Amino acid sequence: MRDLTVMMLTWEFPPRIIGGISPHVYNLSRSLAKMGVKVYVVTCDFPGASQHEVLDGVEVFRVDSYKNPSPDFATWVYLMNVNMQKEAAALVKSLGGKVDVLHAHDWLVANAGIGLKHVFRKPLLATIHSTEIGRRNGIHFDYERMIHETEAWLTYEAWKVICCSDYMISHVKWAFGLPEDKLVMVPNGVNLDVYLKNEAESLRQFRNKFALPEEKIVLFVGRLVYEKGVHVLVNAVPKVLEKVNAKFIIVGNGYMKEQLSDLIRTMGLSHKVLFTGFLDDETLRKLQKCADVSVVPSLFEPFGIVALEAMAAKSPVVVSDTGGLSEIVEHDVDGVKVYVNNPESLAWGIIKVLTDEKYAHWISANAFKKVRENYNWNEIANQTKSVYEVVLGEYSKSAWA
Amino acid sequence: MRVIIFSWEYPPRVVGQLAHYVKELATQLTKNKIETHVVTYHDYLIGESIEPDGTKIFRVTNPVRTHIGVLTWVLTLNQEVERATAEIYYRTDGKVDLIDAHDWHFIPAAVTLKKALGIPFIYSVESLEEHRSHGANSPFNMAIKSIEWLGMYEAKKLIVKSKLMQDEVFRIYKVPLEKIDVVQPKPQGELNNILEIYCAVARGETTQ
Repeated sequence: MRDLTVMMLTWEFPPRIIGGISPHVYNLSRSLAKMGVKVYVVTCDFPGASQHEVLDGVEVFRVDSYKNPSPDFATWVYLMNVNMQKEAAALVKSLGGKVDVLHAHDWLVANAGIGLKHVFRKPLLATIHSTEIGRRNGIHFDYERMIHETEAWLTYEAWKVICCSDYMISHVKWAFGLPEDKLVMVPNGVNLDVYLKNEAESLRQFRNKFALPEEKIVLFVGRLVYEKGVHVLVNAVPKVLEKVNAKFIIVGNGYMKEQLSDLIRTMGLSHKVLFTGFLDDETLRKLQKCADVSVVPSLFEPFGIVALEAMAAKSPVVVSDTGGLSEIVEHDVDGVKVYVNNPESLAWGIIKVLTDEKYAHWISANAFKKVRENYNWNEIANQTKSVYEVVLGEYSKSAWA
Repeated sequence: MRVIIFSWEYPPRVVGQLAHYVKELATQLTKNKIETHVVTYHDYLIGESIEPDGTKIFRVTNPVRTHIGVLTWVLTLNQEVERATAEIYYRTDGKVDLIDAHDWHFIPAAVTLKKALGIPFIYSVESLEEHRSHGANSPFNMAIKSIEWLGMYEAKKLIVKSKLMQDEVFRIYKVPLEKIDVVQPKPQGELNNILEIYCAVARGETTQ
């Protein structure tokens, strides 16, 4: 029997990185390729990236992502899908239809995935990384409802729906009314190798660029949007500074950036809080290794990959007790859990880690061990491949086979 | 010959004049022993049915119920058009000779079906966004124009209803004149022309 062949559809793939889907699909694809699965990735184009390349054994095709001005984001997504579907269709045809499974990541590629499913009669799988109802804390406008219904449509058309935490399984089941046996939990992972490089010397110099030697580094990494809870951290800043001398480094961009930096300025704390904007992988990784504490104060978090990354970087983590974060972190064992949307509680967690060095070391060592054992990509690729095989087994008995 | 017509309106759903035109065309085609399918939209009368004259109708509805405009509505409906067409295609062992797509709405589906299954399509241009929007060029109009352009680029043939439209398609989209056929809708005689065009496209005799 020839190798299992998968076509991944994703709106972001390195070097195009907007959120967590890009590194997820990259790591999943190359780990599958390592196991002998033939993987094609169809994604949006990016300045400087080639239209077709083979990357770590994965064939990547980048398609024109509709570059005229668009009325709004969702309309752009649908227009981009016209191109993606057209190019992916031509690709499948050129392969003589030899694609076993279509794997779509989030509603951003729903149209293309569903269309390809029907014209080629191949099984479609969907990974739901996040939901509109979760991101917005409810559905309030037609625009949001349209996206919500597009997500529902994707889960309806998918043979199986993969989510990365037990929390997301129950959330997706509730949000779209899906039957239990359609949902599969496969955790997200982190690529540990990139954190293992020994660079203690250069890190000291690197650290000086961000903080004074006597300042502890408190690190936030994420989009500066409401659901990530960065405003909770900002409100915790003065409470932490009462007890510890620290520098708060906030990495990422988002619509709340202006508002938050204004707030910091009015507090008179501009010298204690640094907004770096978006950082490249290398710099981010170094910063995570330097951080005396990494905070993830999300209000809604399907998985919480930044917590895993911090754990891999041996930085102690303080997370809000919600969503996927609740499952990743065990309180007082490999991290600190604090109340959601509660600056007092968050400040308490940060102070606890920063003032008790032995404790901080104990939780970060346990956390590192956990990441190495439970969240490595080979294991995740293995589990994903099993899902493909189950689906193909069922498909082979269907009218479409 | 087996033909599938795409139209966003077909009786009992009548928005403009296209519904009646397509119905008359389908009736005439069926009368001429062409197996004619119409894939169209209806909000709730969905599924397959056969008209008294033998024309086969496949009505689909939009799986996404809430929309912010006609553009998002159209773009999520196209996958259902693809599903319906694929049903016909696989049921007939791939023997679909051509698709005749009326106006821009289902052009994305026609293009995907061409790329995926090799079904050639004709783009029957009823009207153009340039005229409908009176020259407005907002991102919304631009998006519809880009879909019209895609259809003109990927179609084997364009059918327009007047010399004026032929000139306009040539002027706005720079489509070679020989790719555009004028078929004036007259009660008699119109079908002969259309049948000739269909046959040429189905046999791959067009230049494009």
